[in-house]
Amino acid sequence: MDSLDLQVAPGEVYGYLGPNGSGKTTTIRLLLGLHRPTSGHAELFGIDAWRDPVAAHRRVAYVAGEPSLWPAMTSTETFEFLARIRGDVDVAYRDLLVERFHLEASKRVRALSKGNRQKVQLVAAFASRAELLILDEPTSGLDPLMEVAFRETVNEAKERGQAVFLSSHILSEVEALCDRVGILREGRLVDQGSLAELRQRGGPVITALTSREPSLEEIFLHHYDGSSDSAPG
Amino acid sequence: MPPASAVRARGAAGAVPARGAAGAALARRAFRDARVRTIAFAYLFAIYAYIQPAGYRHAYPTTSDRLGFARSFGANKGLRLFYGEPHDLLSVGGYSAWRVGGTLAIVAAAFGLLAAVRALRTEEDTGRLELVLAGVVGRGTTFGSSMAAIAGGVSILWAAEFAGFVLGGLPVGGSAYLALATASVVPVFVGVGAIASQVAPTRRLALELGGAIVAIALLLRVIADTVSGWGWLRWATPLGWAEEMQPFAGARPLVLLAPLLATVLLLTGAAKIAMRRDIGTGLLPVKDTAEPKLRLLSSPTALALRDERAGLAVWIGGIGLFAFILGVISNGISSADISPSMQRELAKVGAGSIATPAGYLGFVFIFFVLTVSLFACAQMGAARHEEAEKRLETLLALPVGRASWLGGRLAIATGATVVLSFAAGLFTWVGASAAGVSISLAKLLEAGLNCVPVALLFLGVAALTFALAPRAGAGIAYGLVSVTFLWQLVGSLVGAPKWLVELTPFAHVGLVPAQPFRVGDALAMAALGVLACGAALVAFRRRDLVAA
Repeated sequence: MDSLDLQVAPGEVYGYLGPNGSGKTTTIRLLLGLHRPTSGHAELFGIDAWRDPVAAHRRVAYVAGEPSLWPAMTSTETFEFLARIRGDVDVAYRDLLVERFHLEASKRVRALSKGNRQKVQLVAAFASRAELLILDEPTSGLDPLMEVAFRETVNEAKERGQAVFLSSHILSEVEALCDRVGILREGRLVDQGSLAELRQRGGPVITALTSREPSLEEIFLHHYDGSSDSAPG
Repeated sequence: MPPASAVRARGAAGAVPARGAAGAALARRAFRDARVRTIAFAYLFAIYAYIQPAGYRHAYPTTSDRLGFARSFGANKGLRLFYGEPHDLLSVGGYSAWRVGGTLAIVAAAFGLLAAVRALRTEEDTGRLELVLAGVVGRGTTFGSSMAAIAGGVSILWAAEFAGFVLGGLPVGGSAYLALATASVVPVFVGVGAIASQVAPTRRLALELGGAIVAIALLLRVIADTVSGWGWLRWATPLGWAEEMQPFAGARPLVLLAPLLATVLLLTGAAKIAMRRDIGTGLLPVKDTAEPKLRLLSSPTALALRDERAGLAVWIGGIGLFAFILGVISNGISSADISPSMQRELAKVGAGSIATPAGYLGFVFIFFVLTVSLFACAQMGAARHEEAEKRLETLLALPVGRASWLGGRLAIATGATVVLSFAAGLFTWVGASAAGVSISLAKLLEAGLNCVPVALLFLGVAALTFALAPRAGAGIAYGLVSVTFLWQLVGSLVGAPKWLVELTPFAHVGLVPAQPFRVGDALAMAALGVLACGAALVAFRRRDLVAA
């Protein structure tokens, strides 16, 4: 990883884009103090993530790309456990989310499909009052209906003033949800800004006889077509 | 099933490897997966097979020495409980068959169970079997290749034990047969593990079921060897069959038919079930839903306790039962027929007055020290499992500190160690009292307390290896426990210099109730253990998390 400075304002959704292996999950692990930087340091809210992870984590809720939960516990028990550790959970809202995501509360995690385990993680994170939500490819395994529920929930978090850091490679999702976007390539941020700014920099796409604004997909692929000339470091 | 023509077409084109080749590749893969465990067990088999004949020849050089030994110990129920019924204690071979055969048969049973559950149930639990079966390989082939890999492991164990005996000076033919008697136990328990893997829907339950069968087999053998008139019960347990083969005492190779028949029956049954059931299930149903139980959810430490309490209850039950039997048997020990020279020899192995109930109990408590130390290592194994399964990452992304997580695990391990230690003392007292032996409860609790410092020391070692070398962690700790345990036996038998023998923690245990409790040594070992745990907490703060 190179030096990275990412800012997510309250009520803002930041899309963190990159293909598999570009360093998205590594960034998150460094930010959470799960991995130690080989040099330099990672800070969250100005708190050194490696030195004082607990203080940083009180203000953050995290959804891992691969849900690793306790197989013998039911969803209800998992929620209770995670809530008691966090201590800042809106139980009424959580119950609403359990409904919205169609979770069977008495089912053991072992018996849940990957998508359903992902939903358990999502509900636990969104029900917290954390200032920052870090979501690592949160919708892998969700069906289209649940994707809708997810977008609705992200917008509610925005309205409440929570900041959302959304790592993803699903471009349509990022395009629909994110206020600002950062594009990562080989551990370096090659482009960053609001969608409008990215579009301006990308230049118009000329197709046949008409000219239109480039889609995010086109902007993204532009950074990966071997001619990364517009990268602002 | 694909249509027959498709099969023929593929066969003709030769693009798909032959069934035998796929099976062989799978067997090689399974054999490689098991190599660390196979090597560790082979090492144990070889060392143990070498030291017993060598030590016996050293300690009892003349026939009159051996006659004295045989007269004193041939009928000693307390020793029969560990080693089985002796058939000939006058020859080095007969003695080795007694000392090695009985003990290694138990280890062999554990190996068979672990190997089968690893090859069958773990592969399925992790989803790897599904991947293999989705390819061009059938269920029969995967089952067969797993068994072939285990058979390779068994032959390595046999070779290790055989080599140990031959190096220890036993005749080649007898050594081969004695090693065969031990190795014959493995396939039977591979069969037990294979059935358990079909019955239980999870790896953990399969190991628990299989472990219960091993415990019952051992219990039957102990009853057969110690209660007069119940010798026939030996035929009811695979551990007894190994004894009935009577190596070095009028060998009876026909007895081999018993393990052979049992293995064939168990494996055929397991294969039949494996062919018929759905992947990812067992014969026992899994309960997919449950009423929420909200106790012990307040912290990661509470949750760990919630997970470990069932296992702890089993450990307490097992240790309690064994302690009770030892207590009862201590009644039958008398010093009337042990010569002073024999007592001097026994003093060398730290069992100075084994011929009294107190002396006997002091001697056997070293096995509780061993067991509780292994338990401590297993606790760190559970902590590592949580990390390997990435659940620790989930926890540490919450407001949970690394030190408080590991500290909580260590606190649970320490508490459980203390409980187990006192349980050993308490149940020994109950057994001894029931049999009319008068030893005070306080004295036997003190004997139990002896387990704590050594276990703490090994807990520290296990914690430190977890922090520094997470992937190897528990394996290194288990290895150190078994090496240091045998260290004292070997060292004292071959007359190694005192300082060398005393490098092992087990040499620093005062054998209560026969000897006084060694307060200084106990405190030093406990302090070292606590220090190692502290170092582990610091070291763990400095490393990345490592998944499986």
